[in-house]
Amino acid sequence: MSVLGTLVRKELLLLRRDWHAVALLFVMPTFFILLMSLAMRDVFATGRTSTNTFKYYLVNEDTTAFATSIANALGTHAVFQPMSLNSADARRRAILRGDVQFEVVIPLGFTRALPDSVPLRIAVVSSAGVAPPLNELFRASVREAVTGVYLRARVAALNPGLSAGGGDFLQMDKVNALLNEATLYESAQLSRRPTSVQQNVPAWLVFAMFFVALPLSTTWLQERTQGSLTKLRSIGLSPVVLLLGKLLPYLLVNMLQVVLMLAIGVWVVPMFGGDALTLGNSPLGLAIIALATSMAAVSYGLLIANLVSTIEQATIATGATNLLLGALGGVMVPRSIMPEALQQLSLLSPMSWGLEGFLDILLREGGVRTVALKALMLVGFALISLTLAGLRLQRARTF
Amino acid sequence: MIKVKAVVHCYVGQTAPALAGIDLHVRRGSLFGLLGPNGSGKTTLISILMGILRADSGTVSIDGRSLPQDTRAIQRVCSLVPQENAFYPTLTVAENLRFFAKAQQIGPGVVDERISESLRVTGLENATGIRANRLSGGMKRRLSIAIGLLNHPQVLLLDEPTVGIDPQSRQFLLEAIKKINAAGTTVVYCSHYLEEIEFLCDEIAILDHGRVLRQGTLAAMTEEARSLTLTAPVRTAGLQELFFHLTRTDLRDMVQ
Repeated sequence: MSVLGTLVRKELLLLRRDWHAVALLFVMPTFFILLMSLAMRDVFATGRTSTNTFKYYLVNEDTTAFATSIANALGTHAVFQPMSLNSADARRRAILRGDVQFEVVIPLGFTRALPDSVPLRIAVVSSAGVAPPLNELFRASVREAVTGVYLRARVAALNPGLSAGGGDFLQMDKVNALLNEATLYESAQLSRRPTSVQQNVPAWLVFAMFFVALPLSTTWLQERTQGSLTKLRSIGLSPVVLLLGKLLPYLLVNMLQVVLMLAIGVWVVPMFGGDALTLGNSPLGLAIIALATSMAAVSYGLLIANLVSTIEQATIATGATNLLLGALGGVMVPRSIMPEALQQLSLLSPMSWGLEGFLDILLREGGVRTVALKALMLVGFALISLTLAGLRLQRARTF
Repeated sequence: MIKVKAVVHCYVGQTAPALAGIDLHVRRGSLFGLLGPNGSGKTTLISILMGILRADSGTVSIDGRSLPQDTRAIQRVCSLVPQENAFYPTLTVAENLRFFAKAQQIGPGVVDERISESLRVTGLENATGIRANRLSGGMKRRLSIAIGLLNHPQVLLLDEPTVGIDPQSRQFLLEAIKKINAAGTTVVYCSHYLEEIEFLCDEIAILDHGRVLRQGTLAAMTEEARSLTLTAPVRTAGLQELFFHLTRTDLRDMVQ
């Protein structure tokens, strides 16, 4: 067996006996993928009934067909559940307590006042504890209900033939046929919807891959402080061989992580009621981005291991920088919802390059050409990190 | 066997050189004591002898081969036992020995024989299946030495091998080192334990501040010590007097 093979075998044996590292590298991301995929399932869901509902009081003082149709349209929203209560005071108390989140009041004379220059307004009241995004969603739902009904009424008035009920603009089936309600993904003929599992598997996989830096740097420092690295240098093993002796086994560990996490997305998440992960159409592209991400992650770990002096420093440095790179790179918060400036800043994180590469394959139907630049950036980052680590090792006072 | 001439080495970022023009000559087959306080340059010197560090200037040759040109050949005939426990705690004794044997590319036909021999010399035959982190302090030091013997070295460099072990293990180790030397291996023994050097070594060099302050036989140094006025805290009419006379008694607190 070659010297490199001996080093790799030793490293795998050490890892096999380090249950903390195994838990960190395999159990943690598995847990995150399951938890986040299931927790965020409804955030990404389209055409699915949400399991979370929010309550609102609907007070329809204007009993016209037009006002009733607005109330009905609002009632079709899966997330918001209409309630009724006659006492205004009781409604107010329930909203103050947060038992009911909203109140919608369609005032008397609303329909009649529509042609007026100053129409009556629908009152929307929110409970103080409602999060701003939810508040905005509810208000948008009300706006949608009003404009939808209004628009359909206008269309029916312009084209009476669409109104089978002889001018009854509430029979809207034919009008509905005029609307094309489609999502971007369906209209673009893509096979995948942006499910939570499709987002979370690559995100937490990349995060876990970079976490090899932790066991890698601590074992390296153990070898340095315990003298085994000195011994290996004294028998003629060059810094390049020593670095490769770490790089190769951890590449293997990363590849095992990739296979395991993808398998969890494909088979395990659906067992818990989540969507199944689909793997895209480019196995080669997937392999390339996985390997490039792994090279960057392991090299980054080796660089940290050679920059710090103690195991404590290595633990803090790898843990803190991984969290920072992960947060910045879109692991915890998708880049798409970050402010523009932060999106630009996130391009500095190698985790972002890896994650976007995985998303290219798993979500955007990309192939080898799509991920080529990101893979090159990751490999470049790896080569720079390895060179710096090697130089540092060569010049180290203690090994 | 080992010839060191005017070797200078300065670490990056340090102003004072760790070695400031060392001259040393170690005879073949001798048990040579390298004596010096903390920071005197002992570890730096043996790191240079093993080709781990490069001298800034000066010449080093071992068995007719020169550094750095013949580094690989020198590393094949020399062996270093670092002052730390140079092995993997979660591997067993046998796994550690096998790993270091293979890393040194010892042929598959002789690996088992070399491992058995190393275990016998260090008295670890019954500990092969035990993980290294469960060994006692003395057994750990013996495992480090066993690893150092795997390549049948012509020169064995031992860097403070008895630090932190019990008297019995220490005595066993010192006797083992004598036997290794008696079998023909040149031993360079670095320590600041004067009594060990006196017990083991036939020739000694005293280092301080990166210089060799004195080199000679144990007998000559002991003779010189007798003529000195009292400087050691406890006068023993031995090497201690000469050591303190040369290196002084001021503390060597070091900050890394």
